[in-house]
Amino acid sequence: MSRRLLGFALAILVGLAAGLVYGWVINPVKYVDTTPDTLRADYKTDYVLMVAEIYRASPDLDQAARRLALLGSQSPAELAREAALAARAGDFPQTDQDALDVLSRAFQTWTPVARGATPQKAGTP
Amino acid sequence: MIRRRDENRGPWYLLTGLVLGLAVGLLISWVLSPVKYVDTAPFSLRGDYKDVYRGLIAAAYQADGDLGRARSRLALLGDADPARALVDQAQESMVDGKAGEEARSLAGLAAAMGGNPNQIAALRLSPSPATPTPAVLTPTLVPSSPTLSPTVTPGPTLTATVSTADALLSATPRPSATRAPTDTPQPSRTPTLTPGPPFVVADQKKLCDPSLNVSILQVQVNDAAGKPVPGVQVIVTWNGGQDTFFTGLKPDVNPGFADFTMTVGTVYTLRLADGGEPINDLTAPLCAGSNRPGGWLVTFKQP
Repeated sequence: MSRRLLGFALAILVGLAAGLVYGWVINPVKYVDTTPDTLRADYKTDYVLMVAEIYRASPDLDQAARRLALLGSQSPAELAREAALAARAGDFPQTDQDALDVLSRAFQTWTPVARGATPQKAGTP
Repeated sequence: MIRRRDENRGPWYLLTGLVLGLAVGLLISWVLSPVKYVDTAPFSLRGDYKDVYRGLIAAAYQADGDLGRARSRLALLGDADPARALVDQAQESMVDGKAGEEARSLAGLAAAMGGNPNQIAALRLSPSPATPTPAVLTPTLVPSSPTLSPTVTPGPTLTATVSTADALLSATPRPSATRAPTDTPQPSRTPTLTPGPPFVVADQKKLCDPSLNVSILQVQVNDAAGKPVPGVQVIVTWNGGQDTFFTGLKPDVNPGFADFTMTVGTVYTLRLADGGEPINDLTAPLCAGSNRPGGWLVTFKQP
């Protein structure tokens, strides 16, 4: 009886292991339709850098904020600051770091306003 | 007695355990604790987010003119033909009524990318349902007017810091594509439409090419300095129809060039979306000495 029980337990373990290997390794859940907030940190930094490049040429903080909103629930100021720090840590070209710094500074004094109201902009480059 | 009954059951208990374990394993690996992709790459983005990303790349290119960087960024999206994807999106923007900056920047980047011109030409903006004939482009027709300055500036040779293969095949793609090293050569920027006075018609010339059996309306848009301007929206209307397209989709001719196939007997009005004077009553002319239809070459220029 105990031998039978042991065999049953072993069979469960083998099945469990097989299930885990199949589900995690052989055929894991595939995420093909991801959202920008799941991007790896360096891709997020590059995304913010693109926004900063556009902002440098056409200073529109509201538009920049809308673009950054795709990156998740963090505020645009946080995203820009983190990207600026990441660019500095990652030895990005100085012009890129400057662009991110400008965007980050601009967002520090920016306040999102209700639709229809006049947006407050500050810190234009 | 009991032992005999257990022996009669055979090894089914093993199979039962195996199935039970497998079920629990799959429950854990697929439902309770599936593989989490928190550090994804742009090529895994959903289609609409890819469009946003692509639009951002084009806008950033319009802002800084760094073609090498734009190429590297586009490679991260994993498009088989990035130039074609740009043109497709420009078309969709037109259909969605967003034919402003986004469509212009997308078309401008597509032109700068210099993709397969036939492919790009085939992807011209879809005419309205009332179109009498589909617009067919003929890339062999090269304008000969001296005002066209048909020299196409070759695309700059740039070193992309990340290859498409890196972006697509590697389990951990190297995202340093945008960390353009400071010694990355700066490409000569493709001129883009800059705010200024509306374009005016600088020249309108009848063309008769004996090798063509169709009537082609060729449009050339130059800036004040005479340089071709890509990404300018051209609108052709006729009784019951309209077609809209951009300059720059045939980079083999030049970045400021666009063309349209006219139907003999139809009267067209040609204008640029950015204002300026329209040309009314355009019809396919007949070439002298033959019944072959000719075409028009209309050159717009910023004063």
